[in-house]
Amino acid sequence: MLEAAALHVGYGDAPALWDVSLRVGAGEIVSVLGPNGAGKTTLVNAIARLLPIRRGALRFEGAEVTAASAQDMCDRGVALIPEGRRLFTRMTVEENLELGSYRRAARAEKAAARERAYAMFPILAERRRQLAGTLSGGQQQMLAIGRALMAQPKLLLIDEPSLGLAPLIVEQVFATIRQIHASGVSILLIEQNVAKALDLAERAYVLEGGRIVASGRPAELRAQPQIRAAYLGADV
Amino acid sequence: MALIRGPHAAPAIAALAALALFFVPAAHLPAFYESFFYILCYWIALATSWNILSGYAHYLSFGHGAFFGAGVYASATLTTKFSVPFLWSIPAAAAVAALLAAAIGAVVFRLNRLRGDLFALLTLAVAFVLSTIVLNTPIDGGPGVYLSAVPLPDIAGSPTATIYVLGLGLAVISIGTAYAVAHSRLGLGLFAIHDDEDVAEAKGVPTFRYKMIAFAISAGIAGAVGAVHAMYVSYVTVGETFGITVPVYVVLMSVLGGMRHWLGPAVGAALIGASLFAFTGGASATIGRAVVAFGLIAVILLLPEGVVPTLLRRARGWLKKRAKPAAMPQVAPPAALRSRSPVSQAGAPLLACFGVEKSFGGLRALRGVSLEVKRGEILGLVGPNGSGKTTLINVISGQYRRDAGRIALDGHDIGRTSAHRIAALGIARTYQIPRPFAHLTALENVILAGTFGGQADRAAIRAEAQHWLEFAGLGARAETLPGELNLHEGKFLELARALAAHPSLLMLDEVLAGLTPSEIASAVALIRRIRDAGASILFVEHNMRAVLELSDQLVVLNYGQVIAAGAPREVVRDPEVITAYLGAAHA
Repeated sequence: MLEAAALHVGYGDAPALWDVSLRVGAGEIVSVLGPNGAGKTTLVNAIARLLPIRRGALRFEGAEVTAASAQDMCDRGVALIPEGRRLFTRMTVEENLELGSYRRAARAEKAAARERAYAMFPILAERRRQLAGTLSGGQQQMLAIGRALMAQPKLLLIDEPSLGLAPLIVEQVFATIRQIHASGVSILLIEQNVAKALDLAERAYVLEGGRIVASGRPAELRAQPQIRAAYLGADV
Repeated sequence: MALIRGPHAAPAIAALAALALFFVPAAHLPAFYESFFYILCYWIALATSWNILSGYAHYLSFGHGAFFGAGVYASATLTTKFSVPFLWSIPAAAAVAALLAAAIGAVVFRLNRLRGDLFALLTLAVAFVLSTIVLNTPIDGGPGVYLSAVPLPDIAGSPTATIYVLGLGLAVISIGTAYAVAHSRLGLGLFAIHDDEDVAEAKGVPTFRYKMIAFAISAGIAGAVGAVHAMYVSYVTVGETFGITVPVYVVLMSVLGGMRHWLGPAVGAALIGASLFAFTGGASATIGRAVVAFGLIAVILLLPEGVVPTLLRRARGWLKKRAKPAAMPQVAPPAALRSRSPVSQAGAPLLACFGVEKSFGGLRALRGVSLEVKRGEILGLVGPNGSGKTTLINVISGQYRRDAGRIALDGHDIGRTSAHRIAALGIARTYQIPRPFAHLTALENVILAGTFGGQADRAAIRAEAQHWLEFAGLGARAETLPGELNLHEGKFLELARALAAHPSLLMLDEVLAGLTPSEIASAVALIRRIRDAGASILFVEHNMRAVLELSDQLVVLNYGQVIAAGAPREVVRDPEVITAYLGAAHA
């Protein structure tokens, strides 16, 4: 479904990603792991076409999208849940959701999609008139997920969904991601909670210093001692 | 700040230029030139004085004309109605304008909602109100005031030369003041207010007092300029004095020259003043104005930071390329964390909260929270999102005022103390989402915290700031602007900045969020080293592994109430804690 071949991405003079290739199959859930500053967020932002790709090729459903615009990616069915939620904090919950349905294919079904989002997160329905900025961190993350689903995406890019959330809420967020995946959406997940990410993912890539240094199934990665020591911590 | 500290050549060149200009009258040029140079000095003094509050602290004022006008009419009234000698009317006019600014500041600087756009509008309104008062009272009354009969002391040989020398004096005073402020504690505080006023206050900057001082200095200089200008025009009217020219031109000149540099507004004033003269004299005045306007647009597009900062930066980059890479500066030996409050007996509570309440509108964020942080202890504070953890930190640090309850540091009530006083008493905090001062480098951010954290010696502060950056693993990033740091580095800059204040109580708000397991391990070790160096720590965190590893005492908040407190391993077995916070997976 998504194929990145030898991507080079950089800010100004400083290259942030070298020669990064990865693949997300249809209906697959793939995770990208690595230390801070490895380039994980840069990678999803480049895939969402928020950052220019200097070299390499990006294909989505067979079409070349290396130079596509962010809006075009959204229209093709790629939705990003950015790090730190990035909600429209001065708009209500409902307005935030509606802003998620700009994708052409999703506009007609806006009302139905909204009801599905409310069914998934009943707390959002209760607070539909409340300003997004006044929600708690967990509710904001639910709203960010709900907003992305409004576009009825084929591929969901999720950047650090558990950041700053209480353990109980983290459980709920991961259960939700599992549920979204079960409904047929492909997912590329960036997550610092490595144990959780590996429980969920079918395959994972390890990114370090802007390069992919390892990839494979979670069991294979867990088995490699140097990866364990460097990125996964003792608790995996 | 990197841009403010020009090479030492800049002040020397400015002083030389002023000295040279002093001898213009001696050259016996036609009086026209004295007049032209006076006008340049007039704009330089006005723009530079405006910049001291509006540029440094970013409190944009459209009311500079009001203070200028107050000076004009103070001088005109004193000299014509009370026969005060003209020279004495200059300091009097400065005092009137400064008092006016202080009176306005005393009201508006207390209100947080008057920051930004509203402050600009309010100052505009002040100018209107003042001009209406002057127009409709005996101060002017409508026909204007003639100063032609006021005796002008002969300082420099002729009336125009005298006026010129006075104008030059004011330009020198205002540039000198701007330089002194930019290189002082006051200036550092103003630059911090520019970037984030709440954080400045939390780092110990007395924001209200600093804004008042800057506003009074700025207005006082404008008032003095007004007094001299009244004499220059010798016939003052409300329309001319309170027109839109002064407030708009000072903004334009400062933006053009560069608002973050002490010399920027003066350069902008000289450029605009001279080009207006060059292009608008004679028959082609209209086209000339258009040329000046287009020139301004072009310069602002090409040099958005202003002429002076941009040129300085380019010059410095060019010098750096030519120079050999400098040797790494010697890092001061690790300074032990000296907590500033007197050490009482071990085990006594350093911080005690009792029945603390805080509501936002109808939402009760804290409902009677009581907890104690003992000396040398790490207290872990956990709870669901929205349970009030960050609110509690905000209340303890004085950012919010508690509605009820008692908060005591070392036995002294700090519930009504302002945030910068609390910071001075030894409480430092970090922000969950890093809030560095965006226009200061990483090192300058830490220097600021050290400066307002009770240290006095500048060299020591600098060496120590470098040490704390190394301690937090940011040694190589000292000259980096915070915008270029990633989230992880931003969090450690927060930590270095908090440590530079030598806190006796350090409050950490989710410093571990977003870190990988191996990064968490090194951060945990770092936090332990901070405690071993003598600080007590209150830390909010969701990472239960780190919480269990670090905490001596664990407190759980839910809906603004403490639902459990005590030894960490016991608290996490509490069924209520599991239901509210941990979830079944951690049971």
